[in-house]
Amino acid sequence: MSVPDYMQCAEDHQTLLVVVQPVGIVSEENFFRIYKRISSVSQISVRDSQRVLYIRYRHHYPPENNEWGDFQTHRKVVGLITITDCFSAKDWPQTFEKFHVQKEIYGSTLYDSRLFVFGLQGEITEQPRTDVAFYPNYEDCEAVEKRIEDFIESLFIVLESKRLDRATDKSGDKIPLLCVPFEKKDFVGLDTDSRHYKKRCQGRMRKHVGDLCLQAGMLQDSLVHYHMSVELLRSVNDFLWLGAALEGLCSASVICHYPGGTGGKTGARRFQGSSLPAEAANRHRPGAQEVLIDPGALTTNGINPDTSAEIGRAKNCLSPEDIIDKYKEAISYYSKYKNAGVIELEACVKAVRVLAIQKRSMDASEFLQNAVYINLRQLSEEEKIQRYSILSELYELIGFHRKSAFFKRVAAMQCVAPSISEPGWRACYKLLLETLPGYSLSLDPKDFSRGTHRGWAAVQMRLLHELVYASRRMGNPALSVRHLSFLLQTMLDFLSDQEKKDVTQSLENYTCKCPGTMELLTLPGGPTLPPVPFTKLPIVRRVKLLNLPASLRPQKMKSLLGQNVSTKSPFIYSPIIAHNRGEERNKKIDFQWVQGDVCEVQLMVYNPMPFELRVENMGLLTSGVDFESLPAALSLPAESGLYPVTLVGVPQTTGMITVNGYHTTVFGVFSDCLLDNLPGVKTSGSTVEVIPALPRLQISTSLPRSAHSLQPSSGDEISTNVSVQLYNGEAQQLVIQLENIGTEPLETLEVTSRLLTTKDGISVSGFPLCSPFRQVVRPRVESKPVNAPEGGKPGDPSHVKTLEAILNFKYSGGPGHAEGYYRNLSLGLHVEAEPSVFFTRVTTLPATSTRQCHLLLDIFNSTEHELTVSARGNEELILHAGECQRMAIQVDKFSFESFPESPGEKGQLANPKQLEEERQEARGLEIDSKLDVHWRIPSLKRTGEASVEGLLSQLVLEHLQLAPLQWDVLVDGQPCDCEAAACRVGDPVRLEVRLTNQSPRSVGPFALTVAPFQDHQNGVHNYDLHDAVSFVGSSTFYLDAVQPSGQSACLGALLFLYTGDFFLHIHFHQDSASKELPPSWFCLPSVHVRALDAQA
Amino acid sequence: MRVRSCDSLVLVVRVLRGRVLVVCAHGADPRHLSCRHPFLQNYPLYIRSAPTENELKFHYMVHTSLDVVDEKISAMGKALVDQRELYLGLLYPTEDYKVYGYVTNSKVKFVMVVDSSNTALRDNEIRSMFRKLHNSYTDVMCNPFYNPGDRIQSRAFDSMVTSMMIQVC
Repeated sequence: MSVPDYMQCAEDHQTLLVVVQPVGIVSEENFFRIYKRISSVSQISVRDSQRVLYIRYRHHYPPENNEWGDFQTHRKVVGLITITDCFSAKDWPQTFEKFHVQKEIYGSTLYDSRLFVFGLQGEITEQPRTDVAFYPNYEDCEAVEKRIEDFIESLFIVLESKRLDRATDKSGDKIPLLCVPFEKKDFVGLDTDSRHYKKRCQGRMRKHVGDLCLQAGMLQDSLVHYHMSVELLRSVNDFLWLGAALEGLCSASVICHYPGGTGGKTGARRFQGSSLPAEAANRHRPGAQEVLIDPGALTTNGINPDTSAEIGRAKNCLSPEDIIDKYKEAISYYSKYKNAGVIELEACVKAVRVLAIQKRSMDASEFLQNAVYINLRQLSEEEKIQRYSILSELYELIGFHRKSAFFKRVAAMQCVAPSISEPGWRACYKLLLETLPGYSLSLDPKDFSRGTHRGWAAVQMRLLHELVYASRRMGNPALSVRHLSFLLQTMLDFLSDQEKKDVTQSLENYTCKCPGTMELLTLPGGPTLPPVPFTKLPIVRRVKLLNLPASLRPQKMKSLLGQNVSTKSPFIYSPIIAHNRGEERNKKIDFQWVQGDVCEVQLMVYNPMPFELRVENMGLLTSGVDFESLPAALSLPAESGLYPVTLVGVPQTTGMITVNGYHTTVFGVFSDCLLDNLPGVKTSGSTVEVIPALPRLQISTSLPRSAHSLQPSSGDEISTNVSVQLYNGEAQQLVIQLENIGTEPLETLEVTSRLLTTKDGISVSGFPLCSPFRQVVRPRVESKPVNAPEGGKPGDPSHVKTLEAILNFKYSGGPGHAEGYYRNLSLGLHVEAEPSVFFTRVTTLPATSTRQCHLLLDIFNSTEHELTVSARGNEELILHAGECQRMAIQVDKFSFESFPESPGEKGQLANPKQLEEERQEARGLEIDSKLDVHWRIPSLKRTGEASVEGLLSQLVLEHLQLAPLQWDVLVDGQPCDCEAAACRVGDPVRLEVRLTNQSPRSVGPFALTVAPFQDHQNGVHNYDLHDAVSFVGSSTFYLDAVQPSGQSACLGALLFLYTGDFFLHIHFHQDSASKELPPSWFCLPSVHVRALDAQA
Repeated sequence: MRVRSCDSLVLVVRVLRGRVLVVCAHGADPRHLSCRHPFLQNYPLYIRSAPTENELKFHYMVHTSLDVVDEKISAMGKALVDQRELYLGLLYPTEDYKVYGYVTNSKVKFVMVVDSSNTALRDNEIRSMFRKLHNSYTDVMCNPFYNPGDRIQSRAFDSMVTSMMIQVC
């Protein structure tokens, strides 16, 4: 007996062993089809009694095991069913002969046998035979089950007769000694008449009867027999058989206690037939009720009735604790015999199964531990595998998952032991997979993604390596790649630097043949291997969706305000809404992306490997919107710190886009890493709105761009900056070219400008582009000259002033425009104004005409270059660096009142002071335009203008202003100002004084006196001219009051008696009316009359 | 400090050929785990072995011994938890080694593997070694910078184990 049956369980003791075998050539498929039908008849209720017979079918049974049939009758083959194909009557005798040969093998123990012939038809089949059944084919054989039942009943009859025969052997004849094969030679020459020998024979026979009773369904009887046998054998120290008797006792008790069976699946199957659970619970009863033989009639001698046994009936059955004790005892007896190793092993297995049901794992593990050490003869590799597998299963049964995994792994390794010529890598792989739960290892990387690592990393790593190797040898590189990826992903923290290198090296080797995918791999056995995304290669720490650059950022039109206001609630503020908003904010980001524009997502990545990591094909995974991802390749240095990576893509449609993750190719393995599965990733939201396409403007300027960027306080960002250095007063033309480089037409463009206050707090006016204008432009070109702002006030001329301004181009078009979005492109202007020329002092001198005056300008050149200054056609004045010179310009006086006043409403709002300032400013501008003072730096070829604005004092202004009372003196009807009027001596000369009132009130009346005098050109004015000039009429003129904008005139006449140059001085009489008015208003031109000879 | 009562850690010490190995691990009964989360816990917190060769073999040995530890803990029953003996005794003998176990009230497991030929180590010595380990482990836990469940990297703990191993030699 050398082949252990690891599947044995205690219940098997009550079964009858039937071998089903094919004879001749029977296809495996057909055989097993019939075998299956046969084995479905595994229990039979015997006619006329409540006893149940259990059958155990085997299609293979080693004959040497059969030899132990006397020792334990369930090992005895009692029935043989042969299945054969036979198609012609000619073959029939031969087939039948084979059946007999087959019968011979188990002949010594067989109770009965059957031959099932398939395919044969004809007269032979009509002969009624009990041991042969004919079936036309494998399909058409409904009667098989019935036949088997009949067969089993015939077995039962033999069994029952044997049992009765043995049990009621009252003859007192010599009881034969039953013995196991290896004992036979030990008993040669023994005294068969000794008491000791007799007792031994009795004990063994009693045990045998117990077995038969158990098989025949008489549980209680068997218990009694076993008890008696134990007593008998114990007294003669027949240990092997004592062990068997004890085991029989245990088996019967187990059957009694655990009608559900101990054998797991096989046990369960046993009752799946007709028997119901209720029936199963009562199973032990039939034997007890059967009173074919009164157990009381049995005595230790087998003859004498002993009524006391009746009392012990209930006690006969062992308690659960006793079962284990007896098992232990039995095993210890078995262990005394080397040849009984298989028996011992099987007993251990049976005991473990019982203990598993009793949930006594610790005891069970002791039995198993013992079983491990039972040394059978040299086992074949296949047997070893079987043994380890069964050990593993048993450990699993008692809840020792790790131990189970350990043995399963040993079994797997045995499959590919070097001594095996054809290693079974497939089997090895399959077994290795089964060990995974025991090592707390799942092949789903999600289980490892959170928290600390679970399980025993060192052994897990080993197992993964073995899986990789086995799958490679199986010829399934996809599996190897998957396992290796898993190893790398989940065990990264435990791999040494060298191991990291080795693993990645081999991974690359595999993937060049079979790239790693994100597909679910289905294993042959049915389970699937989930994909392993490399979320740790590289590790992503932060994901941030980036807004578009400022110039491309879409903005919502303010006019569509209604859309922005939340319509959900009538409340301006409610804590509930605020809470909801907070939640939404977590997910949604408050900027927008634009369809068709490149959008960016920034990842902060980290390379945990001790070598450079090449990440290829890295792109974004999104949902919600068609998104064209533009993959990037990157190379991260060894153990890099956080490293920013920007992934880009173009949304193709509009809606809400969600960035779910990213994909990479690392070491030839494609990974889709979802952000939800990444531990420790900081993200500021991953959903953003994509709005319809908008045009894109590109700005270019005639001036070079500058690095100097404006930082306006208002927060808007400026995309382009232009910086220019100018001299005060210099003008610079700036051409801005806007080009629509997008695909959408530009429909609206709005330009606004804004001056930023300079750092010294002086706001500068005069920036000419102040009124916004609207323009519709087609995509191509839009250009526009802009005058640079004029320089600051020359109040602090020595240092350079900076001026900053922003030009905003609001534009929109295409579908984005329809949705109410626009874009804002800003151009920052940065002007550094250096001082050029400025006026240190401005004074006036009266000119000869009352309508004119001289303006004296002290001009200072503050540049470092020579420059020339010119004013209104005057000659150029050359100024050296740092030089100051005076320039005199004759100017007409200004009648400032005629200037357009600032608009009425503005005047009302502004206070008088501001009004005055504005007026002054306007005057300054007027004066500047009149003066037109230009400077030129020949060496730099730069020109500019200079302004007197701000320098003009009230006094100077008054001097420059025409009086509101305009006096005209006409001599002979000719207006007379600085020119001399000619007249003849002796002729009366008409003198007319006209007053035009341009002041807002009425003036007058005035009295004027005309005093003629002669200028001797030496400072002496001779007023004593009574004899040279005589008045026609009065020398005093009177003027009436003149209404505003009214006119008045008075007439007189003069008579010159001599030739000569005469001047007329007209002066006012001092009276109250004239005192109210400023003296400059009474500025009458002096009249120069040249009296000529009458003859001339 | 968050010590989850159902969790546990395993600390394993191995003593072989007169020398020692220590391992700690973290874990709970796998049968309870299987219904909650099948891949939780029972991972080593600390492993140390005196001759480092063939370490994987001891990993397997200690790993499988956890079955016995789990079994013994569950066998004790809940009522006895408070006054129970922390020392679990011999977990299982193998041909060359003896595996001893110890479990704290917070289910931290200590496992020690010793050479079975080392007769100097009797039950009492093993018991006192475990007590020393436990004390030292408590000190580790008292460190505010130690995160329960992390691998033990304490130098004090290291030196204590080393001294224990030398003493055994």
